[in-house]
Amino acid sequence: MTTSEQAQKPTLVGVPELAQDMHHTNKLWVDAWKRLIRNRAAVVGLVIVILSVLIAIFAPYIAPNDYREQVLTNNNSAPRWVIDLFPNMKAKDEEGGWVTVSEDYILGADNLGRDLLSRIIYGSRVSLSVAFVGPMVSLAVGLILGLVSGYAGGRVDNLIMRLVDIMYAFPTILLVILLMAYFRATFNASDQGTFAYRLNQIDSRFGGMLFIFIGIGLTSWMNTARLARGQVLSIRQREYIEAATSVGASDFTIIFRHILPNILGPIVVAETLTIPTYISFEAFLSFIGLGVNPPTPSWGSMIADGAGAISSYPHQAIFPSMALFLIMFAFNFLGDGLRDALDPHMSRT
Amino acid sequence: MYQFFVRRILWMGLVMVMVSIITFLLMHQVPGGPFDREKALPERIQKNLEKKYHLDDPLLKQYLDYMYYAFIPRVTTGEWKPLPENDHLINLKLPIGDNAYIRWMNFGPSIKSASRTVNDIFRDNFPVSAKLGGAAVAIACLIGMPLGTLAAIRKNTIFDYLGMGIAVLGVSLPIVTLGPLLRYIVGVELGLLPPTGWGTLEQMIMPSFTLGFASSALIARLTRASLLQVLDEDYIRTARAKGLREQLVITRHAMKNAMIPVVTVLGPLIAALITGTFVTEIVFGIPGMGKYFVTSIGGRDYPVIMGTILIYAFFLVFANFIVDIVYAWLDPRIRLS
Amino acid sequence: MRNITRVVLLVLLASMLVGAFGISGAQEAKVLYVANIGQDDIPHLDPGLAEDVASIQILEATYVGLTTLNEVTVTVEPGIATEWSVSDDGLVYTFSLMQNVPWVVYNTDSGAVEEVKDADGNVRYVTANDFVYGIKRTLDPNTAGPYAYVLAPWIVGGAEYNGGSGSADDVAVAALDDYTLQITAPKATPFLANIYGMWMALAQPQWVIDEMGDAWADEGTFQSYGPYALKEWAHDESLTLIKNPFWPGTDYVGQAKIDEIVFLLLEQSAKLAEYEAGNLDFMDDLPTADLDRIRVEYPNEFTVSPSSCSYGYGFNTEKEPVNDARVRRALSMAIDRQAITDNILKAGQIPAGFYMLPNLTAAPSQEDYPDLAIKYDPEAAKAELQAYLDEKGISVDELPPITYMTNETDLHKSIIEAIQNMWRETLGVEVQITFQEFGVFLDTRKNDAPQIFRYGWCYDYPDAHNFSGELFRSDSTQNDPNWVNPEYDALVDQALTENDPDVRRELYAQAEYLLVNQDAAMAPIYYYVETQLTKPNVERTLSVIGRERFEKWDIK
Repeated sequence: MTTSEQAQKPTLVGVPELAQDMHHTNKLWVDAWKRLIRNRAAVVGLVIVILSVLIAIFAPYIAPNDYREQVLTNNNSAPRWVIDLFPNMKAKDEEGGWVTVSEDYILGADNLGRDLLSRIIYGSRVSLSVAFVGPMVSLAVGLILGLVSGYAGGRVDNLIMRLVDIMYAFPTILLVILLMAYFRATFNASDQGTFAYRLNQIDSRFGGMLFIFIGIGLTSWMNTARLARGQVLSIRQREYIEAATSVGASDFTIIFRHILPNILGPIVVAETLTIPTYISFEAFLSFIGLGVNPPTPSWGSMIADGAGAISSYPHQAIFPSMALFLIMFAFNFLGDGLRDALDPHMSRT
Repeated sequence: MYQFFVRRILWMGLVMVMVSIITFLLMHQVPGGPFDREKALPERIQKNLEKKYHLDDPLLKQYLDYMYYAFIPRVTTGEWKPLPENDHLINLKLPIGDNAYIRWMNFGPSIKSASRTVNDIFRDNFPVSAKLGGAAVAIACLIGMPLGTLAAIRKNTIFDYLGMGIAVLGVSLPIVTLGPLLRYIVGVELGLLPPTGWGTLEQMIMPSFTLGFASSALIARLTRASLLQVLDEDYIRTARAKGLREQLVITRHAMKNAMIPVVTVLGPLIAALITGTFVTEIVFGIPGMGKYFVTSIGGRDYPVIMGTILIYAFFLVFANFIVDIVYAWLDPRIRLS
Repeated sequence: MRNITRVVLLVLLASMLVGAFGISGAQEAKVLYVANIGQDDIPHLDPGLAEDVASIQILEATYVGLTTLNEVTVTVEPGIATEWSVSDDGLVYTFSLMQNVPWVVYNTDSGAVEEVKDADGNVRYVTANDFVYGIKRTLDPNTAGPYAYVLAPWIVGGAEYNGGSGSADDVAVAALDDYTLQITAPKATPFLANIYGMWMALAQPQWVIDEMGDAWADEGTFQSYGPYALKEWAHDESLTLIKNPFWPGTDYVGQAKIDEIVFLLLEQSAKLAEYEAGNLDFMDDLPTADLDRIRVEYPNEFTVSPSSCSYGYGFNTEKEPVNDARVRRALSMAIDRQAITDNILKAGQIPAGFYMLPNLTAAPSQEDYPDLAIKYDPEAAKAELQAYLDEKGISVDELPPITYMTNETDLHKSIIEAIQNMWRETLGVEVQITFQEFGVFLDTRKNDAPQIFRYGWCYDYPDAHNFSGELFRSDSTQNDPNWVNPEYDALVDQALTENDPDVRRELYAQAEYLLVNQDAAMAPIYYYVETQLTKPNVERTLSVIGRERFEKWDIK
């Protein structure tokens, strides 16, 4: 699930050493923000991300058409400028051409005569959800296990870390396929009123994305857990934790009041750097037929479908790919910028 | 030192056993079986098939049988027919006569291809995937490391943005798109390279590049990030202060340490790439192992699922083992313990 | 220096001479590169175990059945049995086999096809005993041949032996002498000669199977006797057949004209790329997205022919609200089949009014029985649904939720997306689509099918019975709609006992009417077609049975 097409866990890279004392946090955030907005690439990234989120939220007002609306006779059509853009596309009215010309669609239509642009706009909803929820699921599972592991130490620590080792040894692709098949099969067959049934209803509402999230989350928390554990270990020895312990603070208080806020920063930053892997993972799932339910569009499924048509209708794969490229680009530079900004070493240079 | 090796190897064995148990349970838990067809087979035919492949045994017995044949070596004597069920990966002749052999690692038959065994798939397909994966990792490093280094040295300049832009292009053009695109432009329109196939050097270029380019992004970003961090360390400042040339500072002092995180991901990356990559193999018609990770699940070909998972798990734990050793070499502060 | 020049000149001269002689010497071998057997490795080259189109394609090139199916006319022709007689009661078939047809194997060391010899050095010829062995091995429960079920019911004792209750000795297939084979059927039916010619009933080489078990059917040990022999099998990559010079050839199954055929295993758009790059002579299963372009760019190489499969949606007749025939009819009539074939499928698929393929023996066509077939009729669809809603006193939004299920491959996704839209626009019904992984889909469809599910079928033998009695009879294992209609059962049973094709056609037309129209247990959608590209220098026959007869092909 990375960059390479499969079987990889998102890797948390270049974690800044942000284990600062709570009391300096405010100044730190202000400094970090200043550094961030000085970084031009990161600002561009931030702007693109914010714009995309707005587009996703206001999709119904922005999209020229309904993403479901089909005009079957306009299948695979494209406006003139798109045909001119791709050297291997030829309009029907030319000698030896095959593409239906229709100016109704700004970027052309897909194989069911649906507006590509509208589908790309609506598709940002799925891709952005994956971009945010994927890391969150991984954060939720990984952070808790990592915290417990690092704080409790001893046998519990050993057990959790061995679990991480074992989970790590599975090829993600295999685990995801088996898990998704299992979830969809059991939840679909559940009776009305049960919890499983309700989960399935939620999944349907979200176009089948819930199980994608669960699948991704379950196969990508291991790195977060490792990272969180490492951070906890390094922070446990600090004076203020020892002070808290000596005044009789409960484990719960120590973990959530004193440890968590201090390790959250670096972990969140590390997670933002993995966002592109989640987005491309959705594309891979679509390719192997475990993507979102139609007619919900997603960039991943649009690319996977369009890739098969690349020699006749390249626009169907290239335009969603460009959207994907843009958002990945933005997340990458934003993530790198965040990391640089939050790294206390940087303040000295 | 010895203790480290012994403990790690024992632990590797245990991980493999745990992986096999979880996989075994999960694959039997998922609905559907190897004999489900678009045209459903009558019950008696299903029964015959289940009997033939011992799928009518209790699950525990099936699992123990599998592990016994796969991992316990045995000595055989006398006549040995080349039946599929007799296929072992390792056959060592013993000097005690009467055709005595030590035979080890029988991963069972492929249910989908009756004339083949899982061992056949390992023997025929694994070398192909290993070659493709190896070439891809090499290309990924050759593209990624210089890009990342350049971006780090010239941070926040056009080189940085351009280099990272190329890297992001690698991540965001999924192989699903890049593969067919290259195949069409280079293979069909320009006719420079054969569109599909495997074997000749010409046929290897496009798939290796496609796969390697995608992974180069990860390497580039890692290299950049960790080099930036290292360049800020005190000892580098000292080296600079001593008036060493910048080039020398980077190549001699910074690079070695900056490689630690890169090596960390290279381990699993190599394991993933050499055991096969589904999309690349399908797009370029390569007879590798990657497709079995997907098709074996689709066909509920239980022995092949187990075989592919175990070989992946093996390479992954082995790669991590090597990574730990390389760590110690790169950074003497890390002890093998 | 001068010496070197002289040597170079000499070498050049020599190579030119060799080159010249090389060209004028042996005639170049004719090699055909094809891609028509999919992308996955061929599962079994064992007649007892084969069950998929790829395996059967290779088997039909390397073996010859007792009878063969003409790939153009879809009629039964003599195979290795030059003639056969049927007893007056229609039960006993006696086949006379060709003599002096040797078993052959490709010798990887010598690089030639060789005759198989027994321990004494005598050539092994194909005999009736090899057929007896082959048929009994297919039926043997220990062989566990998946397709034994098609053969077992048509030989006395076959079903019992295959089911584990009978013995091999009671299977009524016998060699009267070396070249006379007799098979006895439990009941007379019009398509027995067809069944006995199928791949499950081929001769099989006992000597090598005894030695190697299932592993025999692979490169170097695969023995056969038909027009081609197996030369090389690079698993997951390609398979090469080489001409068998020992096959004597008949009027119906001639000697091979092309020396070698290389089958490449490639995904559909990968093989199109190879074809367009000029490396393939023949491919099938063209990517739908490229059809419009292919039509324009290769008008003389592109062919479309009928296929052996039909596509439709099944309804689970036990689940609300599709347990009511009116709802099912409404859904079926709201499907604009023509729009789907024209705009999505694009290869000239035929919108289906009956589920049964029209080119089967005794199958009715929608043109001859327009009133019995189901058609796109939005007004009637609305009326049917309204009648149901009125009776229940609910509005369309209060309809119990309807789920459609399929696996996500090929065009299944596009088709249901279009149909989902038609149902929404015509009826106002919102159908939920669920994709399942293939294995889960099959399992769910069989055990707890949702309201609507994908339902495709390809015939095994070209008779209407294969598309009716074997599918929707109330006791059939394939009856996923769980549909029971005694009238239908009676009609297909009666059709099986009739011999006159016209009488049978009338009966099947009535049966189909019950299935797709009156009860609408399923909605037929379209008949598949085969799309192919063939280089202009290849001479071929246009097959309509889903497999090619390569021994009839030639390269000009």
